[in-house]
Amino acid sequence: MECLRYGECGIRIIFGRTIDKDINNRVINFYRSLKLKRIAGIIDITPSFNTCLIEFDSTVIDFKSLIDIIKGFDVDTTYPKDLAPKEIEIPVRYGGEYGPDMEFVSQWTGLSFEEIVEIHTSTVYTVYTIGFIPGFPYLGTLDKRLFVPRLKTPRTCVPAGSVGLAQLQTGIYPFESPGGWQIIGRTDMVLFDYNKPPYSILQNGDRVKFIPV
Amino acid sequence: MIEIINPGLQSIIVDSGRYGFSDIGVPRSSALDIFSYKAVNFLTGNEDGSPVIESIGAMLSIKFHEEMVFAVTGAWVEGVLDETPFTSWRSIKAKKGSIMKIKKVNSGFRYYIGFSGKMGIECIMGSYTTNLECSFGGLDGRPLKKGDLIRFSNIIPVDDRFIIKDAIPSMDPPHTLRIIDGPEIEYFTDDAIEKFFGKKDLLRYTVSTKSNRIGIRLEGNPVEFKEGVEKSIISEGILPGTIQIPGDGMPVIVLNERTLGGYARIASVAKVDQDLLAHLKPKDGVILKRIDIEEAETLWILKQKSIKNLLKNK
Repeated sequence: MECLRYGECGIRIIFGRTIDKDINNRVINFYRSLKLKRIAGIIDITPSFNTCLIEFDSTVIDFKSLIDIIKGFDVDTTYPKDLAPKEIEIPVRYGGEYGPDMEFVSQWTGLSFEEIVEIHTSTVYTVYTIGFIPGFPYLGTLDKRLFVPRLKTPRTCVPAGSVGLAQLQTGIYPFESPGGWQIIGRTDMVLFDYNKPPYSILQNGDRVKFIPV
Repeated sequence: MIEIINPGLQSIIVDSGRYGFSDIGVPRSSALDIFSYKAVNFLTGNEDGSPVIESIGAMLSIKFHEEMVFAVTGAWVEGVLDETPFTSWRSIKAKKGSIMKIKKVNSGFRYYIGFSGKMGIECIMGSYTTNLECSFGGLDGRPLKKGDLIRFSNIIPVDDRFIIKDAIPSMDPPHTLRIIDGPEIEYFTDDAIEKFFGKKDLLRYTVSTKSNRIGIRLEGNPVEFKEGVEKSIISEGILPGTIQIPGDGMPVIVLNERTLGGYARIASVAKVDQDLLAHLKPKDGVILKRIDIEEAETLWILKQKSIKNLLKNK
């Protein structure tokens, strides 16, 4: 674990240099433990694939004191029951009008529609990080056979609920948004509700399984 | 109650920001010029954190359906309240039935309008601010439009207040932004760094017309990556004011609408100069000046102290 300063009020905690399940698991354990400690002066914590960004208010706590707290702090890998990672099933309609890039994915991978659905639904994915837009989960790791590049020209408008592929990841657009992922299906499940805590159905570290409907 | 007669180029409800949810990808979406935002609340007798309007361009017009005090901060504007001219950075009493109109923006880009009452705006995820991309917060998650009515409660009398001119930063181009080294500075050639962080105050970039509330794109000499280095990083948490270099080498300054980023970060705009980002208009010249982190930190702490002193209720 390496702690590096980023800007006046940021600390990057680096757990590794690659996208990897074990590295990400350590990021998420660290993030959950830190969040539960509610340290005064920490404004926001952003866990991602291999790092965790901590933003602090320098009028409340300074960089050195915060680093000391972080270095001396025990990462708890056990959770109260309600905070443990969940496994969530997400129903998806694949192909057709819901998956405009299914044909491209089929051509690129040499797999049939049925094979793509079979492979995409047979993995239990981990929410590696959430971002880009609120509630957008970066799910990994995708089966190598489904590796596809991003769109050359991103779409200006991807419908909410769209399920996409990009490199070794799969993700879901919670909101209508511009986007460059290859869209293979769509879910009706509401992933983000700004009126109701915890707002994002998926949390960092949760497990996701897609169910074809 | 106020009525939007004309929303101008774009007017949205903002506040000090939606914090604590970057772990689920929710950006702060706060006012871009925080000093002006705090000042407009002070001038209208509101608590820090109250909702205000952030606007750009002329033509904005508002009708007052009851007597209240309002103020404009940020960009220097020429406005009229019925027939009477007014300008930015002081409180103005508006009678019931009067109409205010912004005729011209003279210096700066974004301006903030506050009112002496509690604005009837719903608090979503701890904030009044608008997330325009995902259409939540503010007024139905959208920019204000003609005919919108905003209700107020607890309208309070406010004495004449103003901000002394010396305390108001210049918003005229060229803009000098002090910057500190970014996490991926070693991705760039020595020559590129030398040029980017140039020792002399040279005008190297202009603000692109493709800039928006998500990011400011700069045009000028592309910043060169070292040979063989990956031009992107594994996406990770990003802070406002970060300067990213995408594959084409043209710098992008990240504003308040993103929590993750995947481009190499050569630098960050020092927090002491981040309010100025609200006033970078397309075609404006930008001068970048490298300072070290300790200096940036000291300047930021001093700035916060001086704002606190200035906006103290007497």
